[in-house]
Amino acid sequence: MNTMLRACAVASLLFSTLALGAAADANRKSASAYVHGDFGPPRGEPIHAVLTTPPMVPPPTGRNYPAKVIVELEVIEKELPISEGVTYMFWTFGGTVPGKFIRVRQGDTVEFHLRNNPDNKMPHNIDLHGVTGPGGGAASSFTAPGHESQFTFKALNQGIYVYHCATAPVGMHVANGMYGLILIEPPEGLPAVDHEYYVMQGDFYTTGKYREKGLQPFDMENAIDEKPTYVLFNGAEGSLTGDKALTAKTNETIRLFVGNGGPNLVSSFHVIGEIFDRVQQEGGTRVQENVQTTLIPAGGASIVEFHTEVPGSYVLVDHSIFRAFNKGALAILKVDGAADKSIYSGKEVDSVYLGDRSEPNLAAVTQATKAASAGKLTQEEQIKAGQQLFTGTCSVCHQTSGEGLPGVFPPLAKSDLIAADPKRPIQILLKGLTGKITVNGKDYNSVMPPMSQLNDDEIANIVTFVLNSWGNPGGRVSAEEVAKERAAQTAAKPAEH
Amino acid sequence: MRIAVALGAALALFMAAADAAEYVAIGGGRFASVLPADANAADVAIAPFRLRTEPVTNAEFLDFVTAHPQWRRDRIARVFAEQRYLERWQSATALGDRTLPSWPVTQVSWFAARAFCVSENARLPTWNEWEFAAAADATRADARSDPAWREAILGWYARPSASGSDEIGGSANFYGVRDLHGLIWEWVDDFNALLVAGDSRDQNDPDRLKFCGAGALNLRDRENYAVLMRVAMLSSLKAADTTGSLGFRCARDIEVKR
Amino acid sequence: MKTLRRALLFALPLLFTGGIPPRAADLPGESIYHLPISMVDQDGYASALADRRGTPQLVSMFYTSCPYVCPLIIETMKRTQQALTPAQRQRVGVLLVSFDPERDTPQRLHEVYQQRKLDKASWTLARIEADDVRQLAAVLDIQYRLLANREINHSSALVLLDSEGRIVARTDKIGEVDPDFVASVQAALRSAR
Repeated sequence: MNTMLRACAVASLLFSTLALGAAADANRKSASAYVHGDFGPPRGEPIHAVLTTPPMVPPPTGRNYPAKVIVELEVIEKELPISEGVTYMFWTFGGTVPGKFIRVRQGDTVEFHLRNNPDNKMPHNIDLHGVTGPGGGAASSFTAPGHESQFTFKALNQGIYVYHCATAPVGMHVANGMYGLILIEPPEGLPAVDHEYYVMQGDFYTTGKYREKGLQPFDMENAIDEKPTYVLFNGAEGSLTGDKALTAKTNETIRLFVGNGGPNLVSSFHVIGEIFDRVQQEGGTRVQENVQTTLIPAGGASIVEFHTEVPGSYVLVDHSIFRAFNKGALAILKVDGAADKSIYSGKEVDSVYLGDRSEPNLAAVTQATKAASAGKLTQEEQIKAGQQLFTGTCSVCHQTSGEGLPGVFPPLAKSDLIAADPKRPIQILLKGLTGKITVNGKDYNSVMPPMSQLNDDEIANIVTFVLNSWGNPGGRVSAEEVAKERAAQTAAKPAEH
Repeated sequence: MRIAVALGAALALFMAAADAAEYVAIGGGRFASVLPADANAADVAIAPFRLRTEPVTNAEFLDFVTAHPQWRRDRIARVFAEQRYLERWQSATALGDRTLPSWPVTQVSWFAARAFCVSENARLPTWNEWEFAAAADATRADARSDPAWREAILGWYARPSASGSDEIGGSANFYGVRDLHGLIWEWVDDFNALLVAGDSRDQNDPDRLKFCGAGALNLRDRENYAVLMRVAMLSSLKAADTTGSLGFRCARDIEVKR
Repeated sequence: MKTLRRALLFALPLLFTGGIPPRAADLPGESIYHLPISMVDQDGYASALADRRGTPQLVSMFYTSCPYVCPLIIETMKRTQQALTPAQRQRVGVLLVSFDPERDTPQRLHEVYQQRKLDKASWTLARIEADDVRQLAAVLDIQYRLLANREINHSSALVLLDSEGRIVARTDKIGEVDPDFVASVQAALRSAR
């Protein structure tokens, strides 16, 4: 009896050790296969990766085996609009900011070709955060203009990763727009959704002020001091608003691949009117649910998913809110479809949040700037540009009809104050207006702050529009007049003390 | 007859001298280069030298390849210059409309630039010499800490690279040298001494196996983007490479009279 | 007659930029033997770089006062040789050129030769003029800088030339044998037959 027991004990001990060992082995094998993402050598014919221009995303790879994927990306230095009437010399991956979206599957062997266009001035390279290897590829891809570099890596980790240029001085290359996203799909692929979009935030540093017209150079001091002039989605104001807004319908699922190229700022990413059902924080594998605002580090990315229920314009912002409304960090997702009063019954507050971005993009402003620089600005062009700017800046209080709010904001329509001195609006925009005034027989006692964010040309166009609307006397104001008035006010200030 | 020949020779010499490039003497001295002299980040000592006041032009380079046909783009050995060598010229022996004679010559390799300088009894400047002369603005020998100097140079980097470049003959700097900034990148003799790794972020983590004596690799003055970018540019090149914005000028030693 | 005239035409203007090796007219354009470099080896024997045309060459650059990497370069080159068969080893030349002509005289090179017990049949340690050092390093894509304290910062690479002097492979792996590089050596030997 004893011997049998002992035999059983020994046998079971042996068996359990073996089983444990085997289990551990299996765990180790599957764990290592998962963690290292090495599914063996590539199979099948090499595939040329489909690269897309933002905000579009390439279709899912639809593969369940590792392949060799050939990626060809060209660096192009080109002058592009950064805001209406403002251009900037961007350095781009593939001609856009952010650069082209790359999509591969975990375990793929990627053969990366980086070309530096012969018309470029600078050498460039690329660091892909999804690469395991020195510098993320930067060491192997240092390329002079007119040349091409090639390196190969295996995409061991799934996730959404930033890529960027890492040539000295790195900050400047990134600040000029050299970043993008590479998605390394999990082996089982991502669940299907109705729309996938690509959005990337960046901060930009110019010597001129916000919306100061013309070709703006990069400002190194501002970049080092981390004082951006613009904070933008996809490299330009208006890149994702108006007629370029992202689109969807009600009752659809949306997945946004949101990156932050930096170079300096962290993003507090939020979609006004929506809650993220799923967030892959920092692009990692763990999912967080029911999130209002998510942090995206500089040089990081995230995947957010949500479901649309109610039609309207949903505004993507960096919730460090001055960046959204004073530096341009604003994009729009326009959802069409039947209203659902049980979920939301209110009217849209377009004009408050969206301002000038609720209309089709400020084409008239660009037109007016072009004409002005050619010396041929007409009154018509000023009025059109002024109207668009008015809608964004002034209509919030004075209404699009110019009638104001009784007892609170004075009317601009057929205003006797304007008729008495048609140049007065210039001073009011520059200095602001506080205290008691009487307009069209009614008293108003309120505070209007100086519109210090407006440039001379913007004030000139707005005032010209107001003078020619709603029964006001007409006439036009030039940017030079505004500049003179501004200079006179600055000189007069010390005397007031 | 002999007098005529002699006069003819004298005339030719005179004309050659009149066409000869202008060089100015530059004093040298101790200099805080972005590339330190050794691991203790010491200043470098630069001996006095002469520098060409203007970059080499298309016209001058055309004369050179005419006199030395092995440097023509249809005859040159591929080891000395890549395929794009003088690509914008209309032909191996003519400039054409896209490249004006008075523009700086670009799309030249390091070997070709060296050979030109030798033909002019000169050499390429070293990085330190070039850096020393280029540190000046119109009125000061060393203007590198002036934000205006940096902004002006960064402004050139921000402008698109035109199909050729602008005319030479910009305003002279403190030493009387023109066009060191704002026109073209320029070859230096020791372009492959800059030892900047392809990934410019690991300057503090030198791979001792890659760069022997790697302790001296740190670049000083990292805030000076204007100079950093020039170092990065030269480090990305191989000797046979050419680019559309890369040209050169020559330097000469100063003879020590005994 | 035609080749002679062509050679003369070629040679004449080249006098301005230094002498040329013979038979340059049929040398492939990518060959480094176009560089007119003269060398003196550890035995004081003078030759031209282009004289090595005809057999594949393993080339690198070093200097004898180098405290760290250069001994490793020699080791690596030896081990790379050992990865070949004895027959293959006989058909590959090994050339190590000094960055430092001032201090690396032929006598000094000879000392190192003895110390490291280098194989006479295949190894050459050579000294070339300072200006040529810059050119050779440039064509081999090796960076170097002379420091004030007389040390030399330099990158390290083993470069493989085919029998016509074209660069066909290179490796940055120092301290271990690079199997891909060895394969390239063997391939170069096969095509040299």
